[in-house]
Amino acid sequence: MSKQQQHKQKILVADDSEMNRLILTDMLGDEYEILEAENGLQAVEAIQKHADELSLILLDIVMPEMDGFGVLNIMEKNQWLESLPVIMISSESDAVHVKQAYEMGATDFISRPFDTLIVHRRVVNTILLYAKQKKLIELAVDQIYEKEHQNGLMIDVLSHIVEFRNGESGQHVRNVHVLTELLLKRLMEKTDRYPLSWADISLISTVSALHDIGKIAIDEAILNKPGKLTDEEFEVMKTHSLIGAQMLEQMTIYQDEPLIKVAYEICRWHHERYDGRGYPDGLKGDEIPISAQVVALADVYDAMTSERVYKRAMPHEDAIQFILEGKCGVFNPLVLECLTDIADGLREALVSSEGDEEAIRNIAEEMLHQKDLTDLEHSSYWNASQ
Amino acid sequence: MTFQEFYQTIGGDYNEVLARLSSERLVQKFVLKFPLDGSYDLLCSALETGNREEAFRAAHTIKGICQNLGFTPLLTSSSSLAEALRSGEAVDTSALAEQVGEDYRQVITAIQALDV
Repeated sequence: MSKQQQHKQKILVADDSEMNRLILTDMLGDEYEILEAENGLQAVEAIQKHADELSLILLDIVMPEMDGFGVLNIMEKNQWLESLPVIMISSESDAVHVKQAYEMGATDFISRPFDTLIVHRRVVNTILLYAKQKKLIELAVDQIYEKEHQNGLMIDVLSHIVEFRNGESGQHVRNVHVLTELLLKRLMEKTDRYPLSWADISLISTVSALHDIGKIAIDEAILNKPGKLTDEEFEVMKTHSLIGAQMLEQMTIYQDEPLIKVAYEICRWHHERYDGRGYPDGLKGDEIPISAQVVALADVYDAMTSERVYKRAMPHEDAIQFILEGKCGVFNPLVLECLTDIADGLREALVSSEGDEEAIRNIAEEMLHQKDLTDLEHSSYWNASQ
Repeated sequence: MTFQEFYQTIGGDYNEVLARLSSERLVQKFVLKFPLDGSYDLLCSALETGNREEAFRAAHTIKGICQNLGFTPLLTSSSSLAEALRSGEAVDTSALAEQVGEDYRQVITAIQALDV
C-alpha cells in the first residue's frame, strides 16, 4: 500500500454485481480506498473488521446470502449506524424499498443508472456531514472536559487551602473524593433506595472536597494541637460543620445551584451519626442526606489511615475492621456494606487517584454520550429531596 | 464498428451514457467488460433448475448493469423478467426469458464487432 493510499478514507461497496462494483470503484477510487463485498454477509464481516476505518458504505439492496436490509438491521442492532453512514444503491423501480431503507437508518440513496457527478457529490456530502458531526462532538467533549477540569481545579485549590492550614496534605481531599465516588457507585448497584443519577454521584464526589471548609474559621492552636483536645476545645472544633454550612448559605445568589445545595449538606451534616448522636443537628438515619452519610464514612476512613499531628496512620485492614465494629461512629448499614464490598480494591484505587484527569475526561465523554448535560439542573436526586 | 455505432445497433443512447459516466474511457472499459459478467449464465442455469430466487437476483443484476451501461432493450426485458420472478409465484416466464436471451445475444454480437 502506498503512503498516500494509507491516508485515503475507506468506502465499502457492497453489491453482488462485479460490474457495478467496478463502476463505483472507477468513479471513486482516485480519492477513496474502496473495499468490496459481494453479499450482505461479506459486508457485515467487512464492517466488523474495519468499523473504525470506514467512512461510508454503499449498499445494494438485492444481494444473495443477506440483502441490504439485513445488513442495515445488523448495523442498527450494533449501533454502527450512529457513526457510519450508509448510502443505499437502488434501481429506480425500488422506490418502496428506498423508503424502507430510510426508515431503517440509511442516510441517502443513489439510484441506477449511476451518474458520476451525482455519485461523487452524494458520497462527498455524506462523508463531510458525518465528519463534521464527529468533529463537533469532539469539540464539545473537549470543552466540557476543559470546564470540568477548571471547576475541579478550583475546588481542589480552595479545599487545599483549608487542608494546608490544617496541616494535612491535599491527598486527604483527593482520597475522600475517590472513596465517595466508589461508595456511591457501589450503593447504586446495590439499591434503588436513593434516587441518585450518574451526574449526582459525580457532583457529590467533586463537592466532597469542601466538607471541611468551615475549619478555616477555627483557631489554628486548636486545629493543629498535637495532643487530645479539651472538651471546650472540642466544642469549638465541632462548630466547623455549621460554619461551613453558613459560609455557603451566605452565597445568597447561588442558593438554587445543585452544587451549593450538595456542598451545604456535606458541610453541615458530615459529622452526624446514623443513630442520631452526631452533631450539629442530631439527625438520625436517612434524615441525614445520603451525600453527607457517604462523605462522613469516606472522611473517617481516610482520617484513620492517614498520619496526623496527633496520631500515626492505621493500616487499611484495621481501619475497615474498626469501622465495621462501630468503634469510629455509627453508619448506615447499607453504606457499610458498600465499604466491605469495595475494601479489596481500595488501596490501589487511592494510590492511583492521580488518574483523576482521565476520569474527568471519561465523565465528560459519558455525559455527552448520554445527552445527560441537563442532568445537573434536572437531577432526580434534587427533585426527590426537595 | 465504433462505440457510437454500437449503441445505435443495440438501441441505446451513447451520448446519454457518456454524459453520465463522464469519460469515454470508462464507457469503453465497461462495455468491453460486459461479456465477462456471469449474471446471464447464472440466470440461465437458475431458470433451468427452477431456482426462481436466484433467477430473480440474476435478472435483477442484469437489469442494474444495463441501467448503468444504457443497454436499453436488454434493460427492459431483464426488468420485466425480474418483476415476474420477484413475486415467487409460478407464473410462466419462458417468453420473458427468451426475450432476455435474444437481447443479450444482440449485445454480445455487437460488442464482438467493435473496433478495439
